[in-house]
Amino acid sequence: MGVQEISPILEAIDLHKFFGKKKVLDGVSLNVYPGECLGIFGLRATGKTTLLHMLVGLDRPSAGLVKIMGLDIRKGDRYKALVGLVTQEKSLFQDLTVAENLDFIASLKGAPQGNITSLIDKFYLQDYLQMAVNSVDAGVFQRLALACALLNAPQLLILDEPVKDIDLYSQHLIMRIIQEFLSQGGACIYGFSNMESSKNMHRVGWLDNGRITVYEPAEALQIWDSLIHSYNNIDGEKDE
Amino acid sequence: MRNVMLFIPLLGVLLFAWLYSAQSLNAIPTAIVDLDHSRGSREFADKLTGAEKLNITAYPSTYQELQEAIAGGRIVVGVVIPENFGQDVALGRQTRVLMIIDGSNMVYATNASAALLEVTRTVSAEAGIRTLVGSGMQLDQAREAYQPITFREEAWFNPTMNYAYFLVLSLILNIWQQCCTLASAMNVIGETGMKSWLQIKASGVSMTRLFISKSMTHIITFMLMVLPLYFLAFRVLKLPLQCNFGVLMFFTLLFVIAIHSVGTLMSSAVSNAVDASRLGMMIALPSFVLSGYTWPIDAMPPLLQSLVWIFPQTWFFQGLNYLTFKNPGGDFMLPFYAGLIVTAVVCYAISIMLQMWREKLQ
Repeated sequence: MGVQEISPILEAIDLHKFFGKKKVLDGVSLNVYPGECLGIFGLRATGKTTLLHMLVGLDRPSAGLVKIMGLDIRKGDRYKALVGLVTQEKSLFQDLTVAENLDFIASLKGAPQGNITSLIDKFYLQDYLQMAVNSVDAGVFQRLALACALLNAPQLLILDEPVKDIDLYSQHLIMRIIQEFLSQGGACIYGFSNMESSKNMHRVGWLDNGRITVYEPAEALQIWDSLIHSYNNIDGEKDE
Repeated sequence: MRNVMLFIPLLGVLLFAWLYSAQSLNAIPTAIVDLDHSRGSREFADKLTGAEKLNITAYPSTYQELQEAIAGGRIVVGVVIPENFGQDVALGRQTRVLMIIDGSNMVYATNASAALLEVTRTVSAEAGIRTLVGSGMQLDQAREAYQPITFREEAWFNPTMNYAYFLVLSLILNIWQQCCTLASAMNVIGETGMKSWLQIKASGVSMTRLFISKSMTHIITFMLMVLPLYFLAFRVLKLPLQCNFGVLMFFTLLFVIAIHSVGTLMSSAVSNAVDASRLGMMIALPSFVLSGYTWPIDAMPPLLQSLVWIFPQTWFFQGLNYLTFKNPGGDFMLPFYAGLIVTAVVCYAISIMLQMWREKLQ
């Protein structure tokens, strides 16, 4: 409860999104506080990525409001200096090397060059600096993606499946650095589709049919398990 | 875009058929300077007027006026009938008619030369025959060529009628401008169509700054690309360059900005990079053919004569011809500079509006 007495880093109020006539988000509201990691759980095509993109201003909601550190994201881009993003899609510059990506994204964000060196060390990227981004394996790519997201020393990280299908070492390293970021007062919104990841979250927002329900991680896991169990039962009955 | 891909090649074929529909160059703009004002000189001028391929559009009163008309591109052929022409012909004395051809456009020059030759042979033979018959010779005998009128032909701006002077530079620059157009066509979609656009958008970098930075890089690169080409053309191949090199570079810069704006517009109008490059290809080549460099604009169908000025390539290649062969001066070149600037302003403005509209739709 103590966490929620202070102002949220991100506040989303009644977000709606339509693609043509299709309703993707139907009144989603959420808050995330300093030191907190809010998981956004959703299966494929439930609007998880759309929601995360909307929170960082990449997509516009059809209705609703997002505030980051009190800044309405519709009114200017100042809030972007406070945010770091790791997308589900491979959005780093594919034609550039690892070092060039760090350098270029630092320039785009107006981040100090000194941050690059410390992030290279932190993510153990020294051996990959001259390699083209499209030739590194998935784990290194995700380490680099998170390093790029942290270049501007953000207050809020928006992460869309950052450790999905990558090697264990990179998973471990990424999760450790996220914990470190949270312990320093940052906040994180973490999109995932594997419920096992919920153990790393403080709360889990379950996105289904365009609506979000927020649970404690254990509760979300329990609901997920009972869902799996119930489907197994249905399958068992059918088999009988 | 599939429909566009189907129709544009068909449209291209029709366009070329339309462009070359005249099949031969007729009505070559010609001026006659009659310094004699005699019955004989008027008869000679009438013969020129009746020539199939010549269109007598001006009768300058002085040699100086003729020079200005040719340098200004209003006239391609000038015929100067000397003083005492009528009297000399009547007395069977030799006289000399000066024929001037603008050699800066070889398509015009070769056609004009052939057309003049046809007329002058006839006129000369007739004059010779008349003289001989007048002196009592039988008509058949007189038909054996005796030519009291000699014609001296001068090709201005390209005295040796060197085809390379006319064609090489334009072909080199055509390849260059096609590369520039294609690269420019990626200016917007090359970023927005990539997944890395998410990084750019999330970074908070100002879109104006991004656009200016990228466009400046394009423009500087295009200018650096043209430098070795100009070195090759003017230093190694010794092609004519009448104007100051700085003026040529300034004019080239305006053209680069103009084609960059056209590329940016194409880039803003399509939904992916592949379509942008297709559109670039569709525009880059025909625009050179329509520029009037390979086929004179005056010889195109009337509607096309106006339409070709939509393309910056027309302003550039026409202006380039003037600058390299004639150096007609700043005042004369002003419409060419203005044409390129207006193209750039219009295309960039429409691109910005398209982007704003897309942002709103998002």
